[in-house]
Amino acid sequence: MDKLNEFIEVAGEPGAYARRIRASGRSVIGYYCSYAPEEIIHAAGLHPVRLFGTGGDSGIADRHLQAYCCSLVRGALAESLTGGLDYLDGTVFPHTCDSIQRLSDIWRLNTGHGFFADVVLPVKLTGESARQYLIDVLQRFKRDLESYFGLTVTEESLRSSIRIYNTIRSCLNEIYELKSRNPGLLTGRELFSIVRASMVMDREGLRDKLQALLRELREGVPGRDGRGRRLMLVGNACNHPDVYDLIERSGGQVVWDDLCTGTRWFSGAIREEGDPVASIAERLFERQVCPSKHKSPTARGEHLVAQAREHGAEGVIFLYLKFCDPHSFDYPYLKGYLKDAGIPSMLLEIEDTLPPEGQILTRIETFTQMLGPETGAALTGASRTGREG
Amino acid sequence: MKTAGIDIGSITAKAAILEDGVILGTRIGFTGYNAGLAGRKIFEDLTGELGMEASSLDRIVSTGYGRKSVEFAHKSMTEIICHGAGAHFLDPKVRTVVDVGGQDSKALILDASGKVTDFVMNDKCAAGTGRFLEVMARALEVNLDEFGEISLQSENPAKISSICTVFAESEVISLISRGEQRDNIIAGIHDSVASRVYAMAQRLAVNAPIMMTGGVARNIGVVRALEKRFGSPVEVNEYAQANGAIGAAVLACSLP
Repeated sequence: MDKLNEFIEVAGEPGAYARRIRASGRSVIGYYCSYAPEEIIHAAGLHPVRLFGTGGDSGIADRHLQAYCCSLVRGALAESLTGGLDYLDGTVFPHTCDSIQRLSDIWRLNTGHGFFADVVLPVKLTGESARQYLIDVLQRFKRDLESYFGLTVTEESLRSSIRIYNTIRSCLNEIYELKSRNPGLLTGRELFSIVRASMVMDREGLRDKLQALLRELREGVPGRDGRGRRLMLVGNACNHPDVYDLIERSGGQVVWDDLCTGTRWFSGAIREEGDPVASIAERLFERQVCPSKHKSPTARGEHLVAQAREHGAEGVIFLYLKFCDPHSFDYPYLKGYLKDAGIPSMLLEIEDTLPPEGQILTRIETFTQMLGPETGAALTGASRTGREG
Repeated sequence: MKTAGIDIGSITAKAAILEDGVILGTRIGFTGYNAGLAGRKIFEDLTGELGMEASSLDRIVSTGYGRKSVEFAHKSMTEIICHGAGAHFLDPKVRTVVDVGGQDSKALILDASGKVTDFVMNDKCAAGTGRFLEVMARALEVNLDEFGEISLQSENPAKISSICTVFAESEVISLISRGEQRDNIIAGIHDSVASRVYAMAQRLAVNAPIMMTGGVARNIGVVRALEKRFGSPVEVNEYAQANGAIGAAVLACSLP
């Protein structure tokens, strides 16, 4: 499908795309987390870009980081220190896990990418005071942007950005829904590329391209075999299109996710009436939480089971970056929720490079074969004779 | 119905042939560098030994790391699924299987019908695997086959604290140079393997009876060390090492 080509290209080389944006005269602001208030960056006439880390040698980051930091944090710092982020005019760090918080300090002191902001979000997203505090934090972020770049973010530009983001998010949501209903419509790699590119591309153009793609997808492109066990991916940031290929080769289909680089980034709409900053805060407040945030003791478990049921997921693959403590602490609790709901799950811990293919295939194939009928009631040996060779 | 299972592991290749729920024979050889060739050879050796024609087999299932290279197999299944089916075949009461092979270790939970309901596989390093034991046997200049019996004589197992195989080897060499008794060192090595495997299995809801399969199950010292950790007997069948191949042959029976 021609309309997919640009998404695949941008997803493959997000930095090259961001450099072109900057060359066209717009300032580029990077972020690592789906809690970044992108709408405000966009309304300021700046270009928000999701950063993904190097995916390669992150040795240079060892000067600053301990061994327990995840590969995203290491790769992020390495990419900056080796000059790979020379297109940035600034970076925003929403307050999430410990490693990202400390990365933010190291970043501020060592990288020199211009504008820098910590957006210190509340940890508990409950109660009126947290709600008001979140609005105040976003207002402050807006003022920081305005004073650093010498501009004014108007209410009208905020409203316009909110409308654009609402359209982008609802398009992505519908594309996910279509894939869930008809898994053969897009490969996992294609879906991955669409979402990843959406975090990088010029948002007005993106809105139009997503709408055009969606019109085509609604027609239901025939042809591809979408058979396979219906699986859901749950975890932090997925940087590996190969994971989707491996799942498909192992007889699975990813029909939904709860990933920071997936539904957590695009779920929920922003109210288009009322105070725009308060509305942006409201979406972040109401959005499904990541394990660095708290809503209630049961929120994540219930949400996970509800999503798995809604999309007919036969199994869940927890895809975690190694050493991600917020996700790992939540794992036993989430696995328990799924078990009680009768949904099998498996854990796959990865880094910015994947484990050997044989190992990863053995795991995923075992999981899909475990869900399959042929692994059911097995023969038992009635009388055994024979000899050892 | 005659079926064959072929398990191409990282170090050894195994084959098993079943007829109507009865094991006709099993065979074990080295995998070498060519997994496809190893599969062909172990299969031909076993059919030759049993005086059978390859064409008399109704279904063949391959398993293990080299499962995709066995071109003449009708289907490939992962070794985790096959070890589950094999253990259930050998003893239907088994609910937990610990499979320690050449380069990795796995634990799996079975339901009453022999279906795998949960599993875990080591993904950190070679600690807790057959390769770890091979490295230690070389350092101690002891034949690996004697490891088990020697360790049972130990009254005071040494402590090996490194998880890394290479560091653990240096630790063993330090123990040797300090004059520590060989049986104590070997018992310490077995404890170290058992503690890795036990820690991994603890991620699952382990239920007795527990069966150990894979090449390392031949080492009575590791089996005893695991029993101590689990606080429960660990069953080892005479077919432990060929269990994956047997499971593959069992699953081949239900192929269409």
